[in-house]
Amino acid sequence: MLRTLDKVAAGVIALAAIVGTIGLIAEVVVILIDVIGRYFGTPLRGAQDITQMGMVVLVFGGMALCDRLNGHIAVDLFERAFPTWLIRLTDILAAASGVAIFLGIAWNMWKSAAISQMLNLSTNIINLPKDWFQYFVVVCCVITAAGMLLRLISLLLGGPLRQAEGHAS
Amino acid sequence: APVGATELRFAHWVPPQHTLTASTIEPLQAAVADAGVEIRVYPGGELGAGPLEQYVRAVTGTADIVWGLQGYTSTQFPRTMISELPGAQPEGMTGYDMIWNAYDAGLLADEFPGTVPLALWLSEPNVFIMRDHDIRTPADLAGLKIRVSGSAAGATIEALGATPVQMPAGEIYNALQTGLIDGVVTGASAIGDFRLDEVANSYTYGADLGHISFYVVMNQGAYDALSDEERAALDSIAGRELSRSAEEGWLARAESVTESIQATGDNTVIFLTDEEAAAFDEITFPVRDQVISGVDGGEEVLATMQGE
Amino acid sequence: MSSFDVGLIGMGALFVLLAFRIPVAFAMFVVGFLGIWNLHSLNAAMNYLASESFTIASSAELVVVPLFILMGNVATETGMSRRLYDAAYAMIGSIRGGLASATIIGCGGFAALSGSSVASALTMGKVSLGEMERFNYDHRLSTGAVAAGGTLGILIPPSTGFVIYAILTQESIGRLFLAGVLPGLLLLFMFVLTVTVQCWLKPEMGPAGPRTTAGEKARAMVGALPILTVILLTIGGIYTGIFSPTEASAVGAGLIIIIGLVSRKLTLSAFWAAAKSSVVTTATVMFILIGAHMLIPFLALSHIPQEVGAFLEGLNVHSLVILALILACYLVLGCFLEGFAMLVLTMPIFFPVIQQLGFDPIWFGVLVVLTLEMGLISPPVGVNVFIVKSVAQHVPLGTIFRGVIPFWLAMIATLILLVAFPQISLLLPNTMIN
Ligand code: NA
Ligand code: NA
Repeated sequence: MLRTLDKVAAGVIALAAIVGTIGLIAEVVVILIDVIGRYFGTPLRGAQDITQMGMVVLVFGGMALCDRLNGHIAVDLFERAFPTWLIRLTDILAAASGVAIFLGIAWNMWKSAAISQMLNLSTNIINLPKDWFQYFVVVCCVITAAGMLLRLISLLLGGPLRQAEGHAS
Repeated sequence: APVGATELRFAHWVPPQHTLTASTIEPLQAAVADAGVEIRVYPGGELGAGPLEQYVRAVTGTADIVWGLQGYTSTQFPRTMISELPGAQPEGMTGYDMIWNAYDAGLLADEFPGTVPLALWLSEPNVFIMRDHDIRTPADLAGLKIRVSGSAAGATIEALGATPVQMPAGEIYNALQTGLIDGVVTGASAIGDFRLDEVANSYTYGADLGHISFYVVMNQGAYDALSDEERAALDSIAGRELSRSAEEGWLARAESVTESIQATGDNTVIFLTDEEAAAFDEITFPVRDQVISGVDGGEEVLATMQGE
Repeated sequence: MSSFDVGLIGMGALFVLLAFRIPVAFAMFVVGFLGIWNLHSLNAAMNYLASESFTIASSAELVVVPLFILMGNVATETGMSRRLYDAAYAMIGSIRGGLASATIIGCGGFAALSGSSVASALTMGKVSLGEMERFNYDHRLSTGAVAAGGTLGILIPPSTGFVIYAILTQESIGRLFLAGVLPGLLLLFMFVLTVTVQCWLKPEMGPAGPRTTAGEKARAMVGALPILTVILLTIGGIYTGIFSPTEASAVGAGLIIIIGLVSRKLTLSAFWAAAKSSVVTTATVMFILIGAHMLIPFLALSHIPQEVGAFLEGLNVHSLVILALILACYLVLGCFLEGFAMLVLTMPIFFPVIQQLGFDPIWFGVLVVLTLEMGLISPPVGVNVFIVKSVAQHVPLGTIFRGVIPFWLAMIATLILLVAFPQISLLLPNTMIN
């Protein structure tokens, strides 16, 4: 059961990361077109609007994969002095706080998107609606929280610990 | 003051010594102090990063009172933004009267949901702030790169034959210095606020390039929660009176900045004659009309603002 | 319990959470959220989760973060970083610690392009850490050099730090930029000295390579030509106003990608992998910056800066003592706060004190920016250290913090020199601008 869920999660997380990566590549292309166009007197209209919203896409698109790859940085100064049970406990606390934080962001971003709709908020030059990107953040945060929840369950069931100095080269 | 004074949080993102403090915040604080309301100020973005979220902060009650620019989230304020357009402000009328005329007629109610506007006003006129280019006629702008912040300003600059460039306010200084942009169109007070005087050397006053509009709004729930006495004290200044104080503060600041750039002696400061200015109007007024035609009820809003 | 106490408890709690391995960003979120809830309301704390996340993630100024990471990644993927370091090794590899010194000088050069310490540490970290590892440099030396060298980004102009200081205090940006030049070079020199002394004491930290012939040097330089060309084009484009430092990150990344694809040193799948890895690193770094911003409203609501300011104003001691206390405050705050958060919270409070004491505000600006730099590498919340960690995942954070200590001491020495000799900061602005 847990393994099937994990496979599904891996697929969804990979998909979010693909969207984020496309956001990054779009960012490079848009800025290059803008710079070259401006040199010849025709900058790309709304380039800044696109790059700013592209940032939202790539930052939150990559968030779940970042967590899955153990990318969130923790202080490992005292790790060697900790007994295994304490390491497991702190791993559980980290995963639990992560679930709470990302669900909290998702829930409030959802409410904030409704306010954006009420206020008709969009970017200044080409009017990209703010709520579209906020809903994207909601989806990404739910995915991130789900991934963390799976790890939390796995940790509670005695699954593998997070290794800060893990993949040593 | 009664025991258990009400404390209100005022959030903005400029430093405490900005014109905003003396022109707007201090009069507001003074008006409500005797009723036992203390307005505590959080400057410099202390209550949250970025001017774009200011209005949302007031709606959600994260701050009780906020200062902001309509132009940062212009799609929320299509009608108020009409007051910013070139040729919108008639000779002899103040900017705040324009906006309040429309507000009192109920034309702007939809643009300020969830809050009570305490002050709405316009900046001093926008001017050309240039590096190494003197602007006397629209032709002088041909091909120059000018930083703008909104789409209406962008359309105006394009109509004048220049290239509008979008960039964060914090990058203007560097961009003027390296020649990435040739100039900026904004109010004279920004010359001081962003230290543009250090990198610009030619300024043109008198072409009608519009204005910048500002708001101070209060969370509706916080307003309703005030006692009758407290609300009466707040109402005694909210509206045109606080707006007048704010706008006069902006105009005075702009005047002192203008005097200081003239005093240095190494700047070109151009004041266009009426005839020279008319050449700009000929190009920018059609842009104004086009923008207004795209706003629902735009003509009525402009006419009401102008007191017709 | 006063708001001041809540603030102190919050900082203590942050320390405890970090010690117990809670990820840095999460710890800042938790402390900020609970603190705002206590001092304001649950409603406000909830709103900050959304507003700070979206504002920081959509910040136009931070667009450089993913782009410079991408540039570093593709430079590594195409072998350009390798050839750059081969060239550096051929030129100065025979000197102990030469590559670490070269990296710091590279950081200084990058600092002259970019106003951001984050960007400097990210790009130089991506490009240099693997290379120094290849030449058997000690992790402490290499990561310490990059974390510290990256901080030069906000002392050597252009500098976001000086721009924010100038806008918060209405001082001259031009004078501040000029004032940062000599202290920046002095600090650069002190860092190189730190590398040299460390390697003199422990030669195994930065082992000396074989001497190379003129022919080998020339060949290595030719190999590095493509990346040197990209660097020159990027610098040239900024200084001639063709693009901004922010856009330069996209231009640099774009050029390297194009060169890599055309010369077939970069396959499409390798490019995709590099981009995806950049997105993950960006998420790491940006989430820490968002967490750091959750702490700003918390500390503002605690009124700690005001109370400390009021205390300092009431002190009846020599003005230099007050200056020392203010700088000490920055060093302590720097342990917990990200640099710009510190500026925002403290400038409205401390700056009037400084003016009243009659200190030169430009000189004070340099001192503040230097102490901000120190905060970037001070534990437990050292943003540059986290950034180096994010690009060198296999190096323990403790190793990086230990590696940073000698550089931190060099910064203290520089700070003392700058306080003792204000001319170092003020010579250029006073002679070049009247
Ligand atoms: Na710099
Ligand atoms: Na720190």
